Amino acid sequence: MSKALIEVDDLSVTFRSEHGRSLRAVDDVTLQVAEGEFLGLVGESGCGKTTIAKCIAGRVAPSAGTVRFDGRELGARRTTEDRRAIQMVFQDPYSSLNPRMTVRHVLSELLTVHRLVPRVDIEARCGELMTLVGLPRGALDGLPSQFSGGQRQRIAIARALTVEPRVIIADEPVSALDVSVQATILQLFEQLRSRLGLTVVFISHNLAVVRHLSDRVAVMYLGRIVEEGSREQVFRDPRHPYTAALLASAPRLHQIELVRPMVRGEPPSPIDVPPGCSFHPRCPRSEEICAHDSPRLERIGACAEHLAACHFRDETSPEAVDQP
Amino acid sequence: MTPILEVEGLVVEMRRHRTVFRAVDGVSFALERGGALAIVGESGCGKSLTLRAIMGLLPNGGRLAAGRVIIDGVTLDTGARGRGHGHGQHRRMSIVFQDPLSALNPVATVGNQIAEAPRHVLGLGRSASRARAVELLRLVGIPDPERRYHAYPHELSGGTRQRVMIAIALSSDPSVLLCDEPTTALDVTIQTQILALLAHLRVERSLSLVFVTHDLGVVSQVAERLAVMYTGRLVETGPTASLLAAPRHPYTSGLLAAALDVDTPEREPLAIPGSLPDPLRLTNGCAFQPRCQFATPECTTTDVRLELVGPDHQAACLHSDVLSAAQAVGHHV
Amino acid sequence: MSAAITSPARLIEPEHAVARRPSFRSRALHSPTFLAGAILTTTIVALALLAPVIGRYSPVAQDLMHTLSGPSGAHWLGTDELGRDIWSRLLYAGRTDLQVGVLAVLFPFSFGVFIGTVCGYFGGRVDSIVMRIVDVVLAFPFYVLIIALVFVVGVGTHGIYIAFGLTDWVVYARTTRSGTMVARSLDWVAAAEGGGLSRTRVLWRHILPNTITQAIVYAMSDIVLVILAVVTLGYLGLGIQPPAPDWGSMISDGQNFIQTNQWLAAIPGLAVVLTGIGLSLLGDGLADILRPE
Repeated sequence: MSKALIEVDDLSVTFRSEHGRSLRAVDDVTLQVAEGEFLGLVGESGCGKTTIAKCIAGRVAPSAGTVRFDGRELGARRTTEDRRAIQMVFQDPYSSLNPRMTVRHVLSELLTVHRLVPRVDIEARCGELMTLVGLPRGALDGLPSQFSGGQRQRIAIARALTVEPRVIIADEPVSALDVSVQATILQLFEQLRSRLGLTVVFISHNLAVVRHLSDRVAVMYLGRIVEEGSREQVFRDPRHPYTAALLASAPRLHQIELVRPMVRGEPPSPIDVPPGCSFHPRCPRSEEICAHDSPRLERIGACAEHLAACHFRDETSPEAVDQP
Repeated sequence: MTPILEVEGLVVEMRRHRTVFRAVDGVSFALERGGALAIVGESGCGKSLTLRAIMGLLPNGGRLAAGRVIIDGVTLDTGARGRGHGHGQHRRMSIVFQDPLSALNPVATVGNQIAEAPRHVLGLGRSASRARAVELLRLVGIPDPERRYHAYPHELSGGTRQRVMIAIALSSDPSVLLCDEPTTALDVTIQTQILALLAHLRVERSLSLVFVTHDLGVVSQVAERLAVMYTGRLVETGPTASLLAAPRHPYTSGLLAAALDVDTPEREPLAIPGSLPDPLRLTNGCAFQPRCQFATPECTTTDVRLELVGPDHQAACLHSDVLSAAQAVGHHV
Repeated sequence: MSAAITSPARLIEPEHAVARRPSFRSRALHSPTFLAGAILTTTIVALALLAPVIGRYSPVAQDLMHTLSGPSGAHWLGTDELGRDIWSRLLYAGRTDLQVGVLAVLFPFSFGVFIGTVCGYFGGRVDSIVMRIVDVVLAFPFYVLIIALVFVVGVGTHGIYIAFGLTDWVVYARTTRSGTMVARSLDWVAAAEGGGLSRTRVLWRHILPNTITQAIVYAMSDIVLVILAVVTLGYLGLGIQPPAPDWGSMISDGQNFIQTNQWLAAIPGLAVVLTGIGLSLLGDGLADILRPE
């Protein structure tokens, strides 16, 4: 197992709401991402996955816990090298590019400020970056308004790649795109991973996308990781009822029968987290113990890599799949 | 039995900057009583505008240039702007939008918003419409409806707001419910709940449904008939199962190949080459032709229309047989 | 890898894919508001600049033999009560008024945009303090202030410059601050900062070009306001002192003759109105053109 490039330890992020109540967006999360690994971070809205991403990228300061990169702890002020090493790609292609800057300007500025290539080579490098993300060189002259959503995402990815990062954190990069365009961006991610050996933290609520690309998956609910494991472990053998519910609800092309909702009600407000297991009011499997005893994220049986935060983690879910 | 809803030759023109273009170009379909039709397409294909045109709610810059909407045998008077359905006609159809937060009035309680149509359209008295609103809140699965009546939209969660929207839509006692991407903005576990609610209501209230979405993964659960739209035109229509199993239009086939399925992660999604054409520069012939691997010179010159290619299954393609043959041989298209 | 994605170049078809945004020139020429404003304003400015050339007389030269004469070959717009050529006076007055207008706006614009950007980006104590100052300044009645200043620093344009300098910057500060606060929350700013660019760079090279357009558009109408203030002061006798002409004093002088020689007041009045319209149209037109799609 390659060494951990990113280590998140006991991370908590608490926000103050207007009425003075606190909102725990991230609650005591511990996570590692190995070098070259593709980690899928899954969960629905409000689960804290974006906040964790921002913490790793340095945009949000943790209220407790640490973020380590390559063994070094990342503090509130990061060095330029550290900032370069972790780059983000955002969800909304329409607000992720400066409307008044040409693509060339965006890329060449980064190249110049970080002195990544000699002045004479800047134009060539910009062209290379365009090719890398599958855009024609002519795109360098364009302003964002001239491009479609998928093209803008490519430009955003090119921008992230310009500073030669080691980690890319992609926050729902394809959610705002049409299906046929999604496919191209996903292929791009795959190519980047294989060609450049990038470490990627991929945040999405779309299980199909996560399953397609990830090596490992972590499922989040209300600020906590509820299940974690390799892709096959989590998808074939989910051990937390929420994971099972997500899997069951995922849109499927040939789903003839209506999916029976497995989960009751809606996620509670993060200000008002239920006692015990935060999922228990909605959980089809919940029992007495769940209301007052919050289960910890622990390994399932002897398997060190597959973890679940559920009292019944040792039971196989009806959603589990047998065939290889 | 006459279909509950018939749309014939709908044409919607949109004005953008200084040009006018056809955002919806001759869309026709029929909805059987108690039936459900899903309209699928990517952004900009005109599917939302189609619903709005049917409801008479075109945005500024939009104009209903041609077409008829017939509900339960009665042709609607649409007016030139696609606005101007009389109250009586309004009653038969309702629409549910994608984003409940922007579709609901932020300064009115949800109860009052639901009670509005019974009061002012159906002419019920104040307490009767209130009672009706509470009943509807209960019907859409909102617990504690008497108390929730007094809630404001921003106090409610996304799924609950969508239920409120559905309740408002049902409050005028419609026969047809038009849904414009009603679950796109919702979490997937909430989506299942809303889809289950819609299915339940179809049975309970004998509703017929037109469901617009970009998500192919949802259509099988929702509707037994499917229509695929591309740049303002319908390119394929028919039973959902047939279209998904054996599409007869290269675009449908392309969409299916590009879609990811959570159960088959090893399958590589195939992108449709090229990109959406500029709606201002559409030419004659098939709009999909520049991106289509089956295209021949004929495709640019012939005005392609929907033709029967199977039982109740239509496709607007000159080469749907070639596509069929390729699928039969197992080429992944 | 499947065949469809081997060569990335195939994925994009340049002709359809990249929508051509009409160039600035093209958009400018297609905006009737901008064209009208630009033509009107340029004409007025040109006339004012060319005053020494096309004004046929000195604006202060009196000719007591030919007072209050109507338009003629010798005097295109006639003469005023002291026999001075109205046409020349109009041009030179325009020169003065326009000059004051632009200069008086320069400092508020620069300072206001600067302070607004800083407040919007950094927030915190600085922001709170500055915004309270803004509230105080806004509460102050402008003309009271300027008349007080005139009594302190004396009549003439100094008072105007100082008064505008003290009060006018707040509008620019406020608009720029809001624009900056909005921009700060957008992903592309996060990306710029995340890319390792210094905050100064992000502020001035990335955010400012986006927020400054609103300030520029407002500046156009601000110039009109200054000119009106100059005119009003001139009318009150507190502005530019005679015999140097300015539209306000011309109107004020012409007041005495309103029954008999209306044009004495009407002509400079019309000049003020046309300048105002021209600048407003220009501002509106710029707003249309500069908006990114």
